[in-house]
Amino acid sequence: MSAGGSDGTADKPADRAAEEDRLSQAGCLMSAVELPRKRKGDVEGRSDTHVQQSLDLQMDDDLSRSEGEDQQVKMKCFREPHRQIEKRRRDKMNNLIDELSAMIPACQPMARKLDKLTVLRKAVQHLKALKVGTSSAFTDTTCKPSILPHDDLRHLLLRAADGFLLVVSCDRAKILFISESVSKILNFSPLDLTGQSLFDFIHHKDINKVKEQLSSSEMLPRQRLIDATTGVPIQSEPPVRTSHLTTGARRSFFCRMKHSRVAGKHEDKHLLPCTSKKKDTYRYCTLHCTGYMRSWPSSQLDPEGDPADKETSSLNCLVTVCRLLTHVSHQPSKDINIKATEFITRCAIDGKFTFVDQQATIVIGYLPQEVLGTSCYEYFHQDDLQHLAGNHRQVLRSKEKIETQRYRFKTKYGSYVSLQSQWFSFTNPWTKEVEFIVSLNRVVSGPGHTKDNEEAGSSKALQETKQIPEILGLSVGVGTMIYAGNIGTQIANELIDSYRANSSPSSGASSPFGSIQEKFPQTSRSASSGEEGAGSSSQSLSQSDSKTAAGASGETSESTGETSQLDLVNMVVPGLSSFSSDESDMAVIMSLLETDVNMGQSDFEDLHWPF
Amino acid sequence: MTADKERRRAISREAARRRRRVESDVFGDLSRLLPLQPSVQTHMDKPSIIRLTLSYIRMHTLLKETSGTNAGTRHTYLPGVEGAKELNRNGRLDKEEKETKELMLSEESNMYLRILEGFLMVLSTEGDMIFLSDNVSKYMGLTQTELMGHNIFEYTHPCDHEEIRNNLRLTAEVCCSQKRDFVLRIKSALTHRGRSTSLKSATWKVLHCQGRAKMCVASSSVSCVLLTCRPLPLSHTLLNTHTFTSQHSMDMRFTYCDQRVTSLLGYRPEELLGRSIYDLCHTLDTNCLNKNHLNLCLKSQSVSGQYRMLVRGGGYVWVESHSAVIPSIRTPRSRHSSNQPLCILCVTYVLSGVEEPSLQLSLDQTVNRYLC
Repeated sequence: MSAGGSDGTADKPADRAAEEDRLSQAGCLMSAVELPRKRKGDVEGRSDTHVQQSLDLQMDDDLSRSEGEDQQVKMKCFREPHRQIEKRRRDKMNNLIDELSAMIPACQPMARKLDKLTVLRKAVQHLKALKVGTSSAFTDTTCKPSILPHDDLRHLLLRAADGFLLVVSCDRAKILFISESVSKILNFSPLDLTGQSLFDFIHHKDINKVKEQLSSSEMLPRQRLIDATTGVPIQSEPPVRTSHLTTGARRSFFCRMKHSRVAGKHEDKHLLPCTSKKKDTYRYCTLHCTGYMRSWPSSQLDPEGDPADKETSSLNCLVTVCRLLTHVSHQPSKDINIKATEFITRCAIDGKFTFVDQQATIVIGYLPQEVLGTSCYEYFHQDDLQHLAGNHRQVLRSKEKIETQRYRFKTKYGSYVSLQSQWFSFTNPWTKEVEFIVSLNRVVSGPGHTKDNEEAGSSKALQETKQIPEILGLSVGVGTMIYAGNIGTQIANELIDSYRANSSPSSGASSPFGSIQEKFPQTSRSASSGEEGAGSSSQSLSQSDSKTAAGASGETSESTGETSQLDLVNMVVPGLSSFSSDESDMAVIMSLLETDVNMGQSDFEDLHWPF
Repeated sequence: MTADKERRRAISREAARRRRRVESDVFGDLSRLLPLQPSVQTHMDKPSIIRLTLSYIRMHTLLKETSGTNAGTRHTYLPGVEGAKELNRNGRLDKEEKETKELMLSEESNMYLRILEGFLMVLSTEGDMIFLSDNVSKYMGLTQTELMGHNIFEYTHPCDHEEIRNNLRLTAEVCCSQKRDFVLRIKSALTHRGRSTSLKSATWKVLHCQGRAKMCVASSSVSCVLLTCRPLPLSHTLLNTHTFTSQHSMDMRFTYCDQRVTSLLGYRPEELLGRSIYDLCHTLDTNCLNKNHLNLCLKSQSVSGQYRMLVRGGGYVWVESHSAVIPSIRTPRSRHSSNQPLCILCVTYVLSGVEEPSLQLSLDQTVNRYLC
């Protein structure tokens, strides 16, 4: 940028004021000159002298107005952004210099802040000092220089990946190479493992799986690797016999490997529940192995060998990186901590049990299957129905966890156990409807239940079987009997009705992605016209013949989902706009899915299933 | 008086010019010391030089801290290399051997990166990308030197910033589980044909980042998070016997499931259609699935952790799913992308055998469900 003759990078504050004045003046002049110049460019093609003349006149006008107040305005509006830009650039530079001085040991003991030049000079010295200590890799210009020596890169990688490199031969699964990082993960030293058969270390149930992965690459169907966001099929390079760096078919699988408890001091706390017996010193950890097949023709392996000797076949092996699976981020441990006298249950929105943890049996006496399908209200004590129904209604409408009061739950044997539960409703992120309620139940020591009390309670219950106290909010028709099961169903119906009411055409509000909408203000189009059409087309699309499982609410959720989906496609899935324009990409995905189907059908018969 | 002023101005201008020249020289020295390709070195601007210097110094400090036992014999044995040599790091190698060794090492680390199908990223606790392996250009379209030293928040989707910040925070836990595993959206200047364009026409790319946090006690400015970042291709070759694919509508109800699920979980594909995946899983894993579903809705791709799927009739298996949102195939092709309905494609790997087969935990597993 030619800002007159001023120095763009001068730092001294004394000059700054003068500099800015000069800049602004120059900027102002520039603006006056630039605009017509631009327009000149535009009209160049037209060679319209008349226009040019008028432009020149305009320029003259601009200049002549320089004494007027317009100039003040112009100067101001050009001064501001320019100053901002310069300031930002200077600040950025200063920040960088500060960071640099923080990193250089020589700069740190200084009391006052060092100036830019000194910091830079010290940086140069520091780098020179660092280079002395390292290998010649950096100064060697024949190899491609890189910021990090390759050895270190490898170590960093393995540390980040929490894995080790494994090379096994395909024919016998002999471990040809294993990197040192295996000692951190499996507690075996690489020397122990090299040369052994891999199958000795794999869980017996995974042996077939691994055998299959090691099988030769020539017989496999073509690659089915695709990058789902862009639709670009990622092709692996076709195996070229001559080069070392051939990569063959890609492999990716999970397997369980032995992990020795003996050698290591630290025990991996995050292992899957192991199936091995106590006497066994081995536990298994699950690894994700991804890698490639590589093959080396025999001639390269044994250059001194007799070329006429063709008996040795080419060495095929699998080169993989095995990574330990992380459990940490997906563990619900912070939210749900199960202790001995706790159990977890899942109910449909009407309160019917759909899932019961096996630990429930210890507490309530029933086996899960005896309770499944029945309404939880059948087990609540009468006196507790009131507040529990209130909680039920509350949890369906709230996103938070709700703590119930203490209540009594009828066990198999007729007695009651005191429980206190934490309920929260689970909403489907897409449809924003409640799918089920999760209840974490724990035993609390209630007020002393002597046998007399219990008997009294139960006889009282017998007397009042036909007269359950009125529950607030439930519509009780004349002469209608309320049974325990009805309570739940009624509350659920209230919710379903409210969903239906919400999903009427003018519901721009119920978008699943409130938070996104804040950041990306896309107006949700009203779906009244599109709803019916979208609903029916999705029905034909989805292939499912049993959407009736969810009943009416299912349909509404379908159309709500459809609506919001229409609005949010481009926001949700990046890069999709490229799909419709490129038919070949669509064809690739189609063939992907079709191949899956075919594969399933053909292999199904051939392979031996563990079940 | 004006002459005086003029002279003073001239002097100050000269001084400024001299200062700038000296500064440029020092910058030149610095850039020459950086291990970069000569073509890149000459064209770098000043802030970039400082950025890269910072990265270089930080990486050195980091490596010095972590690998205290750098000296000592290390065996580097690469099968298949001509005359597979066993290299001893302590031994003195002549120049040729050094070069070969360097070449092999670079091959090896390239191989690692290729196997992992991703790039390595070292992030400071502030989010500065201290180091990126050079294959980052394959995934983001921008080179290592362009990106190193910059802040990751400039390149990632704003909705993911909070998640990234959470992951950058170093917890006080000293135990080994400083693991990180999350999905983020990053700018990619690659066209859908794989060519590099400018940042202005960047699209979002989904990356799965896994790694660990590394705390350096000595100088806190070197504490960082080590990550491998991989884009998520969906299906891998040889979906083996313990894998099945399924398609879901956006609310995670099954719309299609391949035949293999029968041998793995006992359900016939028709039985699953219309069922929500949340019904088929162990309640304790609801959070895990929820997070997976959210990631899918927001970021279009996700890797679930391990969770349990209930087997028909009783028991459960541990599985892991890799999923992505794609346009539904079986539609009549429409020109407008905004009308394309979406569905979720899942590849599920079964990790374990059936645990506790006699235990019926869920309503579906009870016999009554399938009486007819």
